[in-house]
Amino acid sequence: MSKWFRAHRLQFGLASLALGALLLLVVLTLPVTPVEAAPRPQGEQPADETCLACHQQEGMTAEIGGESVPITINGERFSTSVHGMEAIACVDCHTNITGFPHPEVTASSPRDFSLERYLICQSCHVEQYENVLDSVHQEALAAGNTNAAICTDCHNPHTQPRITHEDTGELLQGARLLIPQTCAQCHNTIYETYAQSVHGAALTQEGNQHVPTCTDCHGVHNIEDPSSHTFRNSTPYLCATCHTNETLMRQYDISTNVLDTYVADFHGTTVKMFEETYPDQPTNKPVCTDCHGVHDIIRADDPNAGIRFKDNLLVKCQQCHPDATAETFTDSWMSHYEPSPFAFPLVFFVNLFYAIFIPAVLGGMTLYVLSDIYRRFIVPRTRAKGAAGK
Amino acid sequence: MSTTPTRTYIRFPLARRVEHSVMMLSFITLALTGLPQKFPGAPVSIAFVNFLGGIEALRTVHHFAAIVMMLGTVWHIVYFGYLAYVRRTRLGMLPSLQDMKDAWQAFMYNIGRAKSYPQMGRYTFEEKMEYWAFVWGTIIMGVTGFMMWNPITTIRFLPGEVIPAAKAAHGGEALLAVLAIIIWHMYGVHIKRFNRSMWTGRMTEEEMLHEHPLELADIKAGMAERPVDPATLQKRERLYLPVAILLTLFMLAGVYGFVNAEQTALTTVERQPPTVVVFVPQTPTPAPTQTPTLPATETPRVTRTQPGTDSTPGTPASVLTWEGAIGPLLQAKCGTCHGANALGGLNLTTYEDAMRGGASGPVIIPNESADSLLVIIQLQGGHPGQLTPEEIAQVVEWIETGALEK
Repeated sequence: MSKWFRAHRLQFGLASLALGALLLLVVLTLPVTPVEAAPRPQGEQPADETCLACHQQEGMTAEIGGESVPITINGERFSTSVHGMEAIACVDCHTNITGFPHPEVTASSPRDFSLERYLICQSCHVEQYENVLDSVHQEALAAGNTNAAICTDCHNPHTQPRITHEDTGELLQGARLLIPQTCAQCHNTIYETYAQSVHGAALTQEGNQHVPTCTDCHGVHNIEDPSSHTFRNSTPYLCATCHTNETLMRQYDISTNVLDTYVADFHGTTVKMFEETYPDQPTNKPVCTDCHGVHDIIRADDPNAGIRFKDNLLVKCQQCHPDATAETFTDSWMSHYEPSPFAFPLVFFVNLFYAIFIPAVLGGMTLYVLSDIYRRFIVPRTRAKGAAGK
Repeated sequence: MSTTPTRTYIRFPLARRVEHSVMMLSFITLALTGLPQKFPGAPVSIAFVNFLGGIEALRTVHHFAAIVMMLGTVWHIVYFGYLAYVRRTRLGMLPSLQDMKDAWQAFMYNIGRAKSYPQMGRYTFEEKMEYWAFVWGTIIMGVTGFMMWNPITTIRFLPGEVIPAAKAAHGGEALLAVLAIIIWHMYGVHIKRFNRSMWTGRMTEEEMLHEHPLELADIKAGMAERPVDPATLQKRERLYLPVAILLTLFMLAGVYGFVNAEQTALTTVERQPPTVVVFVPQTPTPAPTQTPTLPATETPRVTRTQPGTDSTPGTPASVLTWEGAIGPLLQAKCGTCHGANALGGLNLTTYEDAMRGGASGPVIIPNESADSLLVIIQLQGGHPGQLTPEEIAQVVEWIETGALEK
């Protein structure tokens, strides 16, 4: 508690006794019965200016469970945040505070305090809150990991800018850049890997709006466990959402037949059919990420580690085929090529052979069978008719 | 049984009929379990795969049926050797120019351009075509099947491209075989006339007269079977037996090698997944209030395995700097007095002020933590803004690494 409060405790003590009991009741009932979405009427409530009169002072701290917590709020920044712009008042979220002195903080640590307070978010953002309930973060939180992200970890309620379009709900241009930074707060290793990847580098260095940011693959609030078999088995379709998009891929001169060629090959055929039967079971056949990487995806023609080069590709093959030591083994996989006289000509000519051979053989057979049907079943009937007619 | 005293002739002995049944079941199983793999997108394929309990189960059945067909082929070759060497049976299945002539004449007869249907022997041109198509198909499917079953062994002798080429040929040949069976075999022995001889083993004299008149004539003339005297037969059998045993063993070894040549891929359902450190907070972890002023907290790092990831865990950005950790720490712990108030002339709000020191001179000497007044005072203990031992250690580490701002 601040020194100021301590010094004036006696004066405020009596006056706050009754109020304190009432506030305690409010605090206790809050998590059970969240307030309605509409902001409460102003007037009786302290205005933001009242709060900021103290909280705008630099270097203000409070102690929660022995840890120092900064409690300075930059009023200007708040007013330009999405909450400020929507005229959300301090006490709309800090519902337990109606004046000074503030009610005793019962949380055992700053984190504990956040975990108590963030529940208020659902009073306006019920859809997002409910989505989070299905997320991997909520799963971790429920399992007792208090580091798991809650609303306020990603969306600083005092500074959160508007990230979606007011009417369309689509992500704003700049927001795509903010997302990796937000996730990096807790997933920094992954972020650093991502920032080096072909996707991450384009986003973080060039501001490219086409490349996937974290949420494009992982989802936003209902982020599912990416280490699950279900997630892995559906990876080809996830990548295909962009990589089969003709208008998108044309700009980068990237082929859109990657899914078709994958499914046409042994590995893809297996994963596709396996996923149909057992979407949540593990398969030992590779999906996109096993060869291309996850957060560290690089260009196939990357001079250092690109898997267009056989020695690099063989390393990938050997993850599952440890006995395959010859580089020619990499040609067993057609590298997303469609057979042509120039790429995999043997496959092309085998296909060409059967494209001619099958109709030729079957055509000959059919011709003979038709002639036999004619002679055996049609000629006798017309003859019988002819005889009856005469 | 029919009571008419029609004479019947043996067409297929029991061994041949059993062989046909085994090959038929194997062929149907191979087709049913193979075509869904050729057309993985078709709903009927997916339904059938699901019915069989998944793609891996389907492949196991396919492989099992392939082994049955290989064993049937081994039997066929050994049995052929017996007929050809011991019994010296006429090799009626060998194709000849006459078959071409017969086919042409039959076609011309059908369209009314020839007066008579060709007279044929034990095997008609239709049957020979079917037989040799099956031989051709079995060779193609066997060779390409081996390549796909044992790709690593195959590419020791051939370029890698033969594996997808083998897959293409296997699929093309399969399609040809299935459709040929439907068009040629179905029509020839089921629709044109329901030919039961592969099940009963016999044909009536009338049927023989229609379909194999030359063979019937040979039988009547006593020329169909070449009589062999028992002594010669016994001598040949004694010679052929060891050959047959060796041949069988050799081919069975071949089948065994076909199935077990290599362990192509790891069968472990989950490959060894590299460990990805999921929770690596940046230092310091931003707080929901205005500025990140919390010191780096000792947060347990949760590691989790994530299959299908190649990335190695990088190093977290945790080099101690003023901006990253020390500044916020000192502001939080010391700022009340050594902030704007600058008690004793010491202001720890900015890096420059902190490095300048207070009335007693500099309090932070880079790389010299033991001589830095801040550390000395803190180590004495009892300072109004007392740092915890961990925090002191952090400050010491920061100073020893050069007391960097960024």
